[in-house]
Amino acid sequence: MFHPKIISRILGLLLFIEAAFLLTSLAVAFYYHETIIDTYLYTLAAMVGTGAVLAYIGRGKERNISRKDGYIVVTFCWILFSLFGAIPYYLSGSLPSVTDAFFETMSGFSTTGASVVSNVEALPHSLLFWRSMTHWVGGLGIVFFTVAVFPVFGLGDINLFAAESVGPMRAKLHPRISVAARWILTIYIGLTIIATVSFYLAGMGKFDALCHAMSTVSTGGFSTKQASIATYNSPLIEYVVTLFMFLGGVNLSLLYLFFFKARFGDLLRDSEFRVYAGSVLLFTILITVGLFFTTPMGVEESFRTSLFQVVSIQTTTGFATSNYVLWQPILWLMISAVMFLGACSGSTSGAMKCVRISILGRVMFNEFKRILHPNAVIPVRMSGKIVPSSVQSAILAYTVIYVATVVVGVFVNMTFGLDFLDAYGLSVTSVGNVGPAFGHYGPMDSFSTLPALVKWFCSFQMLVGRLEFFAVLLLLMPAFWRRQ
Amino acid sequence: MKIVIAGAGAVGTHLAKMLSVGNENVVLLDESEEKLGKMESLFDLKAQVGLPTKISDLKSAGANDADLFVAVTPNESDNVTACILAHYLGAKKTVARIDNYEYLQPKNKAYFVSLGIDSLIYPEQLAAEEIATSIKYSWMRQFLEFGNGALVMVGVKVREGAPILGTLFKDFPGDTPYHIVAIQRGDETIIPRGNDAVEPDDLVCFMTVKEKIPYVRNMCGKSEFSEVRSLIIMGGSRIAVRTTKLIPDNIKVKIIESDLARCRKLLELVDDKVMIINGDARDPELLRSEGMEHTDAFIALSDNSETNILACLSAKRSGVYRTVAEVENIEYISMAENMDIGSVINKKKLAASNIFQMMLNTDVSSVKCLTFIQAVVVEFPVKEGAPITKKAVKELSLPAGANIGGLIRNGEGMHVTGNTVIQADDHVIVFCLEQVIKKLEKYFN
Repeated sequence: MFHPKIISRILGLLLFIEAAFLLTSLAVAFYYHETIIDTYLYTLAAMVGTGAVLAYIGRGKERNISRKDGYIVVTFCWILFSLFGAIPYYLSGSLPSVTDAFFETMSGFSTTGASVVSNVEALPHSLLFWRSMTHWVGGLGIVFFTVAVFPVFGLGDINLFAAESVGPMRAKLHPRISVAARWILTIYIGLTIIATVSFYLAGMGKFDALCHAMSTVSTGGFSTKQASIATYNSPLIEYVVTLFMFLGGVNLSLLYLFFFKARFGDLLRDSEFRVYAGSVLLFTILITVGLFFTTPMGVEESFRTSLFQVVSIQTTTGFATSNYVLWQPILWLMISAVMFLGACSGSTSGAMKCVRISILGRVMFNEFKRILHPNAVIPVRMSGKIVPSSVQSAILAYTVIYVATVVVGVFVNMTFGLDFLDAYGLSVTSVGNVGPAFGHYGPMDSFSTLPALVKWFCSFQMLVGRLEFFAVLLLLMPAFWRRQ
Repeated sequence: MKIVIAGAGAVGTHLAKMLSVGNENVVLLDESEEKLGKMESLFDLKAQVGLPTKISDLKSAGANDADLFVAVTPNESDNVTACILAHYLGAKKTVARIDNYEYLQPKNKAYFVSLGIDSLIYPEQLAAEEIATSIKYSWMRQFLEFGNGALVMVGVKVREGAPILGTLFKDFPGDTPYHIVAIQRGDETIIPRGNDAVEPDDLVCFMTVKEKIPYVRNMCGKSEFSEVRSLIIMGGSRIAVRTTKLIPDNIKVKIIESDLARCRKLLELVDDKVMIINGDARDPELLRSEGMEHTDAFIALSDNSETNILACLSAKRSGVYRTVAEVENIEYISMAENMDIGSVINKKKLAASNIFQMMLNTDVSSVKCLTFIQAVVVEFPVKEGAPITKKAVKELSLPAGANIGGLIRNGEGMHVTGNTVIQADDHVIVFCLEQVIKKLEKYFN
């Protein structure tokens, strides 16, 4: 059942909240005495005006949000946020095309970090801040943020959460979802503050430290510098950024237990975390060896470069200190494998997520075992708990949709004249919310030369990837809209 | 002694039988008249129909002045409730049968006592412990420890060719590091005298110290037995689950269970080292495809004693050298023994030995049961001025059916000869038939 009034009211309220986020950019513009203050005022007016209209349409006593409402709200709020969030780029003249402005904003909210800006340093401070702010909000999820701060929607908060949350299995931290959300928000804000201070102490400027911290903890990837982290040319900064990217890829619930409840064992025993840490380690070692033998880099530099890129790509952040497109093909092929993995579920990262990869691996391994022991009843376990077969098949379906979306993307991109490597890289990076791709669209390149339709399709892939397919694709099913 | 037993299931009826034969005043309480049916006519006890969790029924069963209240219904919560109520009514000691390993942890003991439950028994856990030892010492039939391992009792089936055969006991050299307390030959239990000797196919109970176990092993001709590395369990019962927790991690375990729903449940209960197979363990084809020939041990734990015996027989035939069967019909045990199916596990006996312990007034004694003989081994602490300290052992007129196996003095195991004088604070290990256990108590107090 749909409740158009509720949907409209919530979307209206959410626009007010986006306006509140945009106020921070306005403050930055004031602070730096920028000339584009009127841009923000127009945008705020548009957000508040539309929000008020939507809220007015949706006025009434109805408070119950159904499951279907949840999917509609979540999908449309992400689209609306990206549309309205694009206005400052467009009005300020920094990105004079609607396509580019929307792409940049969607890339921001979905924490992808692919940019169409050709000269980042030329953007005003307030816009750079807005780019990082979109990451920071999108990292946890727009609805998540809102429910954590204002649990005012009514009785169906849980349905909104279900539609936006990522990961196949989720253990609740607290019986009340809004309390759990506030805990998660606490650790998220805490991490951001610590990251800001650490970056500042490691040598970044105050403004850069804050923006990079927001992009790092949310595993987004927008930098305030055209050459990303490579600009600083500082091993210390690289290690510190690596650490916070890694933390951004850990399940926030586990981080909460780790830091606030001192339950260290939970994190170390968690199967997914072990797979995550293990794969980071494995690929770092492989690429370190590769770099050491194929480039003039020394051991430490090979290790640092390898660790940074692997963590950056696996957590789907997308910062860069080295242009991996220029490495030996086998080395960037490994990077492309890492791109599929993603980090932990319940973190801010995108892509497949380690929990799914490891369950898939076990399901596959069990098939071999089943041939040897036809009568055996073989479980799939994660952290000692049995994964129900319904979850197993949901993960198989997820994988198929994931791969299919990537393949469709390759077809679309090649239709518009891209070569295979570019088409493949763009598709994988968009679906996984990573950022940099391969070929002509590596970590040091701008996406501005892409055909407009490819940009729109990439934006769509980022959205479905961020919301883990089902929420968005469900709306494309005719059955969803039938009344009965 | 007045004893109320709530629950006329397998354990309850066995206990009632045992205790009524031993001249105790037994009331058996159960809600099902059918279950109580013949008990009253066959045994000297009172059968009472009633709910173990109903105060008025407990009163009419006499729980208010019972010396011992035993709750052994299949339902754990009922047992706990019944014990709390019986304690409230005035029962002196209460025992509840439970089905949860957490309850047994020592840190929770005080809490259960404060609730009015003096002791908890978990027959499945006891059975699993017994299976685990029989896997660890695969050449033995039974292994019991006393005084934290100062003395051990080892039951061994002696085969043709063993060095121990044929020597009369009186001809054993004086420094023999073991003492034979009993021999089971066919259906007969022999307390050995000087002119007896061990014969082939005897089941011999040795009392010895831990360091001398390899010597006993050699004497019994069991040196060639190798360690168990792989194990098949038939039937995914609670005992099977507990067993998997107790055996060493390097043993590969397969559990064969015919009920698919139970298989799924088992997955949640056991670790990943255990493989669950859905199928009938009596099917030779299935056993072969699961590598029965290369399995070291086979444990049959299905609900059906006959099935377990047959399954062990066929496992022996396909070359498994170590088999253990759960046999719940007491009458079958000696038969199973004669058919050479290896160790026999009986939940009821294990539970009963625990209850015997409750009946004794001494606090620290332990009672352990022997599956293959109707006998128990009891560890008695000797009190100051007890009758047993007055004379040398050969002059004590101990009741027939009791045999002193050894004693523990200052934590060290010692052998007892006719001339030994037992001192206060010694712990004496006595092998005795189940009926005489109560009579023995007065010697030590």
